Parts: sequence; structure tokens; C-alpha cells
Amino acid sequence: MTINNERRLSYAVLVAPALIIYLAVVAFPTIFSVLLSLTNYNGGLIFGNPNIRFVGLDSYIWMLTEPMGSFYKSLGNNLLIVAVSVFGQIPLGFGLAYILSRKLIARGNKFFQTMIYLPNVISSIIIGVLFNAIIYGRNSVLMEVKKMINPQAVFALNPNPMVPVLVVILWMFTGFYMIIFLANLQRIDPSIIEAARIDGAKEWDILRHISLPALSGVIITTAILAISGSLKSFDLIYAMTNGGPAGQTRVLSLFMYESAFRGAPNYPLANAISTVMVLISVVLIIVVQRLGKAFGTKEE
Amino acid sequence: MRFKRLSALVVAMLLLLSMTAVVAEEQVELRVLNYLDMASPNSAEEGKVVWEAFETAHPNIKLVIQNEFNEPFHQATEAYAAAGNLPDVMYVWPSGRSTTLHTNNLLKDLKPLIERDGLASSYIALAMDPTQQASGYISMLSNGVTATNAFFVNMEVLQDAGLEPAKTYSELVAQVPVLAAKGYDTVLMANQDSWVMQSCLFSLIAGRFCGEGWEQKILNGEAKFTDPDFVAALNFVKQIYDDKVIDPATLAVGYGEGPGLFATNTAAYYIDGDWRAGAFITDASTGEALITPERQANFKITVFPEIDVEGVKLNRSNTAVLATGYAINAALEDGSAKLEAAWELVKWLVGKDVLTYRLSTGGLPSPSRTDIDYASLDLEPLQVANANLANDYDKATVVIDAAFEGPVFNPLNDGLQAIGLGSQTPEEVAQNVQAAFEAWQATK
Repeated sequence: MTINNERRLSYAVLVAPALIIYLAVVAFPTIFSVLLSLTNYNGGLIFGNPNIRFVGLDSYIWMLTEPMGSFYKSLGNNLLIVAVSVFGQIPLGFGLAYILSRKLIARGNKFFQTMIYLPNVISSIIIGVLFNAIIYGRNSVLMEVKKMINPQAVFALNPNPMVPVLVVILWMFTGFYMIIFLANLQRIDPSIIEAARIDGAKEWDILRHISLPALSGVIITTAILAISGSLKSFDLIYAMTNGGPAGQTRVLSLFMYESAFRGAPNYPLANAISTVMVLISVVLIIVVQRLGKAFGTKEE
Repeated sequence: MRFKRLSALVVAMLLLLSMTAVVAEEQVELRVLNYLDMASPNSAEEGKVVWEAFETAHPNIKLVIQNEFNEPFHQATEAYAAAGNLPDVMYVWPSGRSTTLHTNNLLKDLKPLIERDGLASSYIALAMDPTQQASGYISMLSNGVTATNAFFVNMEVLQDAGLEPAKTYSELVAQVPVLAAKGYDTVLMANQDSWVMQSCLFSLIAGRFCGEGWEQKILNGEAKFTDPDFVAALNFVKQIYDDKVIDPATLAVGYGEGPGLFATNTAAYYIDGDWRAGAFITDASTGEALITPERQANFKITVFPEIDVEGVKLNRSNTAVLATGYAINAALEDGSAKLEAAWELVKWLVGKDVLTYRLSTGGLPSPSRTDIDYASLDLEPLQVANANLANDYDKATVVIDAAFEGPVFNPLNDGLQAIGLGSQTPEEVAQNVQAAFEAWQATK
């Protein structure tokens, strides 16, 4: 066996396990999901079922034209979450990381760091259940507080039920981005900041001309994480509102779950929704990457 | 002599071996997917009373039971169906959530076995009616019949407000300000889950406004969801919310919260299905109850009052549907030992002993067996009231999620919540449901 062949063989042997796992748990389910979305499969045996046939884009057409407009409402809610993540969690996470890394508060740096990151170590389901008890319902903590202030207070439904969900999402994930930014801010050579200080740079100048440019690649990476994470949000909302009332807090993943598992299953529709979710995610990530390139930043 | 002894010994050993082989052959292992209602106070005892008792009585049958509750149960069923790996015996709904099993003919036709064992007369006619099951044949042996509207009346609250149970909707409306002045809600419903309004109240309203067999007219194309009587039924839901008979704030009450709120005198009335009476009774393992047997005397169970509104076609009606039950995997071969064992198990699960046990523990409101002696049971007052619920109505109309499939009733469920929120009009909901129905029919 020649050295080249030996090298090829060793590459193949080393790559094969990972490739097989990737094909089995990522590539195959993805392709299979797309194929299933083009069929009339309605439960029962998948392989060898004589009743399954291809029906083209029927499920996609139904998803886009169904009378309740569930897809558009869900997509709208997902985009709200994307907006809160990209324009809320990331700037806030960066701001907090900057304050902590520059030690702009006199004491308790470690304490604040821990407190801000804390929601990330709690299960989303627990947070969802917790905030459901705090915010929603006539026996909620919020209602009790209202009654303490005004004993005549009467429970009324929130006309914008997505707002509390967005607030919780903002609270929950900001710490995650803060930690990423904090780790990267600590990589900046302190002598550069020291030199800037000696040259008379103020805090704003350090932020604008040193820290932000140094972290531009990280910002792109966090934006990609935020977008993909926002589009697949499920557990928190499932536990907190279950998409209700009247589907007002439903997101695409919940719509997909309901299509697949509530009532008579509609697997092609659920798979069509998941395919579209992936497509939207890819498009948004490409947009973010292009924007990053336009501003001369490199993904890290 | 020695040879004779040796021969006798060999023959004896061969006989013993062959007997062992016969015994081993008769050993059957059954995979069972069971729905264990973990919210029911007496479900913990089920393992011993129902399953272990069967194994003790049938030592040749070994049960491998998978207990699931709520959504994980349905997901497990769908996954097994997709993989072609259904268990031998499984808990099923007559339609609705078990549509996959029925419409794909994955369940055994039990009629030949029922006829062979002469069991038909032991069950109510509804349980033996194949049209009640989505498969179109007797694919499950049902535990009983479920009335999806149970109108629980709290006499403690009514007496505190100086009121009597409302007999008509107008009386109910008149009670709203009186009860509100005392700090009570009028009718409580756990409307956060979208199926509750549709299943436990709107199906009854649709039946009363549209008349018996209304769903068949729609399915046959003779009527539409946009017809005036169905729109009138939806308008009545709006009226209920507008009149504050049911507060729109109930859209924030989770299904698990309802019994607790009602038991603590939050409201004068509570709407749920008849199965919910089991949530109030004593848990045998702890001796505790949401409503103690002494207090239960102050509670009644009836049907939603007479709707004295123009356009109503019938009153004194309820919505009833065949309850859940047990079925056998269609893949089990006729005449096989496994099928016989599975049938033994199903007969046991839906037999007199188990149904009597379920009735006595509140796990079953109205059993399918005709030979159960109620008088011999030590039932709590709410169980007795539940058993007598059938006397309060003389007509049963369909439950919508049993008559139509998800693509049709899901938009309706959402629409009923939207009416409560005021974000959609009844006319809009009717149009949406009709459009969803037409689209669903086009896929059939």
C-alpha cells in the first residue's frame, strides 16, 4: 500500500464514524422530512405503506393559504423573538459584559455576573411554568400584587400576551450573550486600552474604537446563534402559554408540534413547516453574514 | 429388570420434558401500551388491582406494560404506528386522538371474538355499534360512555347568595350580578386549553341550535358551517361571554386548575366533562378529597340549563361519545396463542370486575357493561350524581372533535377562544371553519 493510499485510508477511517453519525442523525432526517412534506402520509407504517403517495406542494400551499392564517401569525411571533434576541439580548449582553469587564461598577462584579447568567442554568420548562404562575391567571403573583395595591383590581386578559413572553426571553438569554462577550472582551490586550488611556481616550472612545471592532466577529456569531435559537423556540412558550390564548403566542415550532401531535396528525404539514423554518433560518443567517462582510467583519 | 427400570426412567423423563415444552409453549408475553391517568386520585392502585391481578389469574401470560399519560401517550402511539411496531394490546380512543390506528386499519376487528364468546349482550348497544368507531368496525372494546358536558352546581355558593340552581339561560344571566356582588364567578370553565370549550360546551350548544344529526348534514354536503343555525350557536358563545356568564378571564384558567378553583367556592357552577367528577372524590391511598363526601351533598351534577334564546331547536340534550377502551394489534394472527392471550386481557380490562373497580374509584363515569350492580357499591355522593346524569337529558348529539378531524376542529377551537377575546366575530369563525372543512375534504 502506498503512503497516499495509506493516508487516504486513515482519513476515511477517522472520518467515517462522525460522517455516519452525521448522515444518520442530521442529513437523513432532514432529507426525509422534506420528502415526507411532499406526501399524503397520515400516520401508520412509513416504509412499505401502499397508501403513501407524492402530492407535490399541497402541504406548503395549505400552510400558506389556510384560513386561520396560523402560519403567518406564528411567523410574526417568531420574528418578534428574533428582533428581541438580535436587538435586545445582544446589545444588552454586550453592554453588561462591557460594564463588568471594564469594572465600571465599584463592587460585586462576580455577583452580578452570576445573577445575570443564572437563568441559563434553569430549565426552560421550569422558567415557563414559573412565569405562567407569576404573570397569567387570576391567581397569579402579579394579580396578588395588583390586589395589594388596589383591592378592587379585577383580572383581565392581557391584550398583548406576547409581551410577557418576550420580556422573559430577554431576561433569560441575555446572560448567555453576556458570557460570550465577556470572555472575548477579556481577550483584548489590556496594554492596548492602557495605551489609549495614556493618549487621552475616554471610555466611549475605548468602546467605540477598541472593544466594538475587536468583537465585531463575535457579534455576527451571536446574531447567528440568536436567529437560529429564536426560530426554534418551543419549550419556554409551550410551558408558559402553550401558544394561547387563541393562538396569539403560537410560534412556528408550536404550530409544527400541533400539526403533528394534536388531534389527527398531519405529518406532511408539520414537515412542511419545519422545512420552511430551516429555509427562513438559512436566509436570515446569510443576510447577517452578508451584512457582516459589508462592514468588514469576520465571523469568529 | 434393570433394563425395565431404566426404560421407565427414560420414559418418565421424556414425559416430563415434553410437559415442560408444552408449558413453555403456552407462555405468552404481551406488550401493552396503557394510558394511566396520573391526575386521577386513585390511579396509583391500578397496577395492583388491574394488572397484577390479571397476571396472577393467568400465570401463562406475562405482561410488559408501558404506562404513559397525556401527550407522551399519543406520541408513543404515533411513533409505534409509524415504525410498524404497535404493542399487542393498547388503550385507544374511538376516534379523535386515535384516528391513525382506526383509519389505517391497525386494530383487530373484535366482532368475531365477541360473537364467539357471546359477549354482545353484556355490553350497551353503543359499545357494539361499529359506526361509533372511526374504523367503521368494532376495533375496540369501550369502557363506557362519556357525557362531555357536566354542569356542576355548587349549592354552598348559591345558598350564600340566596339563589336556587338556574333552570334556564335567562335565570343564569340574572344570577350574574347577584353572585358578582358576593365575589363569586357565575360559571367557571378551564378555557386555557382550546379543546375544552369545544368539547365540554360548544358541541352541546351546536347540537341544540342545529338539531340532531347536524354533523351528518355537513359531512354529506347538505349544510355548511356558515349556515344561520351554526352561526347562531357561535353567536350564543359570544353572548355567554358578553353576559359575563362565563368570564373571558377563564381563557387564562388551565385545565388542571379548574377542579381546585371550583372546590374552593370560586364559582357557583363549573363546566367540564363527566369524567371530572373523579377529581373531586376521595383518594383511597391518602383518604383526602378535593370535596369531602360530607361536602359533596352540597354539589349537584346536571346538564347545561335550557337555552331560552331564539333559534334553539332542542333542549334537555347533552353531547355523548363512546369512551376510551382497549384494542388489539391487527397484526396478531387469527387463532394464535398471542391473540387469545390478548383477547383474554381485553376481556379482563373491560370486564365486570375492572369496570366495577374503575366505577368505584371515580375512574369511569358510566360503564359499558350492563351487568354492574350499582347498589352494591359504596359510592360517594358526586359519583352517584354522575351516574344519574343521564336522567337529566333525553337526547345526545355529537361531540365535534369525535365527528370531525383535527384540520376542521382545530380552527374551531382557536375560533371559540378568539370569540372570547373579541378578536374574531362568530361569522368570521364560521367562515374559517367552513374553509378549513372544504380544504380538508379536498384532501380526502
